[in-house]
Amino acid sequence: MTENAPIVRFEHVSVRFPSALANDDVSLAIRRGEAFALVGENGAGKTTLMNVLYGLVRPALGTVIIKGEKISQRHDPMRAIAMGVGMVHQHFKLVPSFTVAQNIALGSEPVKNLVFYDQKRLNREVLALSKRFGLPVNPGDVVDDLSVGLQQRVEILKALHRGADILVLDEPTAVLSPAETDELFEVLRSIVREQSMTVILITHKLHEVMQFSDRVGVMKQGRLVGIVNTSETDEKQLAAMMVGRELLFRDLRAGEPSDREVLTISGLRAMDDRGLEAVKGIDLKLHAGEIVGVCGVEGNGQTELTECIMGIRPQTGGTVTLNGRNISRLKPREIRGMGVSFIPSDRMRTGLSAEATVMENMLVGKQRQTEFRRFGVQFRKRRATSYAKALSEQFDVRSGGVDLPMKSLSGGNMQKAIIAREFSFDTPVLIINQPTRGVDIGAIEFIHEKILQKRAAGCAILLVSADLDELFRLSDRLVTLYEGRLTGSFVNGEITRQEISYYMTGGRQEVRA
Amino acid sequence: MSRLRILPALKALIAIKPKQKLTAQYLLSLFIAIVLAFLVGAGIMLLCGYDPIECYAALFRGALGKPRAFGNTLAKTATLCLTGLAMSVAAKAGIFNVGGEGQLYFGGLAAAVVGARLAGAPAWVIVVCALLAAVFAGGLYAWVPGILKVKLKVNEVVTTILLNSAAIYFCSYLTNGPLKTAERGISSGTDSIAVSFSPIIRLSNLNGSIWIAFAAALIIWYLMTRSTAGFEMKITGANERFAKYGGIRADRLMIAGMVISGMLCGLVGMIEVFGIHKRFITNLSAGYYFDGMLVAMIMRYQPFGVIVMSFFFAILTIGGSAMELSAGISGEVILIVQAVIIFFMAAEGGIRQSLRVWSAKRRVKRTHAKEAGV
Ligand SMILES: Nc1ncnc2c1ncn2[C@@H]1O[C@H](COP(=O)(O)OP(=O)(O)OP(=O)(O)O)[C@@H](O)[C@H]1O
Ligand SMILES: [Mg+2]
Repeated sequence: MTENAPIVRFEHVSVRFPSALANDDVSLAIRRGEAFALVGENGAGKTTLMNVLYGLVRPALGTVIIKGEKISQRHDPMRAIAMGVGMVHQHFKLVPSFTVAQNIALGSEPVKNLVFYDQKRLNREVLALSKRFGLPVNPGDVVDDLSVGLQQRVEILKALHRGADILVLDEPTAVLSPAETDELFEVLRSIVREQSMTVILITHKLHEVMQFSDRVGVMKQGRLVGIVNTSETDEKQLAAMMVGRELLFRDLRAGEPSDREVLTISGLRAMDDRGLEAVKGIDLKLHAGEIVGVCGVEGNGQTELTECIMGIRPQTGGTVTLNGRNISRLKPREIRGMGVSFIPSDRMRTGLSAEATVMENMLVGKQRQTEFRRFGVQFRKRRATSYAKALSEQFDVRSGGVDLPMKSLSGGNMQKAIIAREFSFDTPVLIINQPTRGVDIGAIEFIHEKILQKRAAGCAILLVSADLDELFRLSDRLVTLYEGRLTGSFVNGEITRQEISYYMTGGRQEVRA
Repeated sequence: MSRLRILPALKALIAIKPKQKLTAQYLLSLFIAIVLAFLVGAGIMLLCGYDPIECYAALFRGALGKPRAFGNTLAKTATLCLTGLAMSVAAKAGIFNVGGEGQLYFGGLAAAVVGARLAGAPAWVIVVCALLAAVFAGGLYAWVPGILKVKLKVNEVVTTILLNSAAIYFCSYLTNGPLKTAERGISSGTDSIAVSFSPIIRLSNLNGSIWIAFAAALIIWYLMTRSTAGFEMKITGANERFAKYGGIRADRLMIAGMVISGMLCGLVGMIEVFGIHKRFITNLSAGYYFDGMLVAMIMRYQPFGVIVMSFFFAILTIGGSAMELSAGISGEVILIVQAVIIFFMAAEGGIRQSLRVWSAKRRVKRTHAKEAGV
């Protein structure tokens, strides 16, 4: 085999789900040692195509040739790994209670005297591996205690440990902070250049594509609509190829916040799931018609803060007041009744039910409205279904039908379904955590417009995001969160990104929000 | 006839928490499992020197052939169906009631006591009071593990299993002690009740209680598949955290699911007492609830499926004992068939997988043929 022969070749791959043609006659050759980026709208079939390579999905037609060898009828992840394919999924698959080393070696643990599991040797091996690829980890750490960025590093090492030389990463940067993202790309680049690995990257962030890849493949509705050399294209052209139209990304003018205080948080304290204090006394005011953006590196208390407001997580101190009423001790149901909606960052666990249907997911919270009830007991399923269909249309949620389980949707469409549900309550307060994670650029534009419409309608909005661009585009006011405390409060437009980054990483400003 | 004792297997099945959807594919693999099970059964019969066709004919004749047999099968269906629905209604809400036996015993005992003490009252008063007492006793006994689960996060599978033994031994103590009848010839049982259901088909177990069972099944079916509460239960069972976040009173629904489950079990106890034994006896149930649980799990807690599968299992049970008599083959063979069905159900994932591989292969072959033809 010559150096330039393709290492992976998809030949006329089609994948049909009962609801949709997820891949439609895709032919694609990936060259050995290249950094290939795969982009496309939500539901375009990117994840599905990579799942075919990794043996999680079997194509209805066509085949894949890995290093000159056709995948077998019984291709599965074990075989894929043996052929050198490693995949880092969007939702990690680590054992939380195991150490870093144990996770990395899962299934291939070194053995001593034929019987005993050799912990020392394992740690040594993992250390050597992490040094070789420039991915520092501490083999003895328990995975549960690691940040998302570190967990991802473990996932990558796990793939490398099994001898992968084709590394697939499905939206790896969606969960990372900007600094972590830069670090990741540095490592990936060195892996590609120095170890001549092949990397396939799925992402929605076009600047990452430009920064990192040699070639880009664009998918649209299951088809591969184009492959271009990164050096010969730009973000605008890629976006147009993906969405089929020019994106506007208009400059969004700030709203006109009123003086009416809607939500007041004072001295709020709360614990995280491990029982450590994660919110350490937060004071924050939210006015009608205002978007307050919370900047911070993930894991500094954002999730706990938002869950406390919604009543999902018990508070250990302080109060939350809504329109003058203390809601600190109320249940989510009561808080919703008083006019708060919530988009959680933790989509799979809190924001939706994977097994329930799209309709059921979209209707939760409205099932007791008279519109969806007959005789006060009966659920009007047909009405609910047509309602869910209309809502899907309105928010461009692409599913194969609203009576399919939620888990059959692509990642971005799940997110749109959650947003559709929460926005449809028409509440005066919105708590939004990571609204556009894993969402394609066309949909981001759409979601941003929706958020601004809400503000124009006089909603008070708390917006948490790991994406500074998003915060700067939408917010009227910005606050920085570091280790469970607010370290600064600024009017958007009067501060630069550099300054914000300083406060996000522990710098302090003595101003009350 | 001895009964399946597969509690450990049940516990394992609960632990993997079966999926909640009945898909066409699942029904197909269920059908294949049943056919395979019958084939295995036939193989065993051949090994033992019997003619499988004759045996299976005897089985179906024994279950459906005569009015009396058919009556017994229907009565059995009612029991399986009520217990199966009891399991389903709780499981749908995300809480597992393994304590149906205990609730059944307390329901039966309450009904028997009321039925005996109210002697002299009009028949319908007795039946209604006994019914209420049974349902109340069963529901109350299920409420305890429900509240423990919701408030103190005590695993309900463990508590309900323990409460089973507690109830059975306590009832046994009562029937041998304070509540022991003075009637002669009864070793351990309460006083006989004043009125009872009369058989609909002579000499069969089918009696007036079938109407009550029918009504109860209908209500549960409606609750689970048509009502708003059923919708909320389904959401709770699928993801409790999401349900709470969405403003559903998940805790309440879980307790409600458990209590309704217990009420159904209490009803089964009452039906046993009023329909068959005319008093409470120590061995009121021979693991009826566990049979129902099995049916429920195989049909993934879908009420309609549970009703249909109950009829099928009733045929196997009633026909099995008839086969024992007429074809001379041991009824254990039918137990093997049942076990094999369950076994294949547990392997359902594998069956589905091979179905998929098989159809993929065929598709590939077909396209190759097409390409060659072109
Ligand atoms: N298990 C499944 N069952 C049924 N349909 C599915 C399943 N998985 C994916 N699909 C459908 O296949 C299509 C492609 O989905 P896929 O997950 O590959 O999209 P994607 O390009 O990765 O999108 P995203 O950027 O939103 O993650 C979608 O229409 C989706 O609804
Ligand atoms: Mg995807």
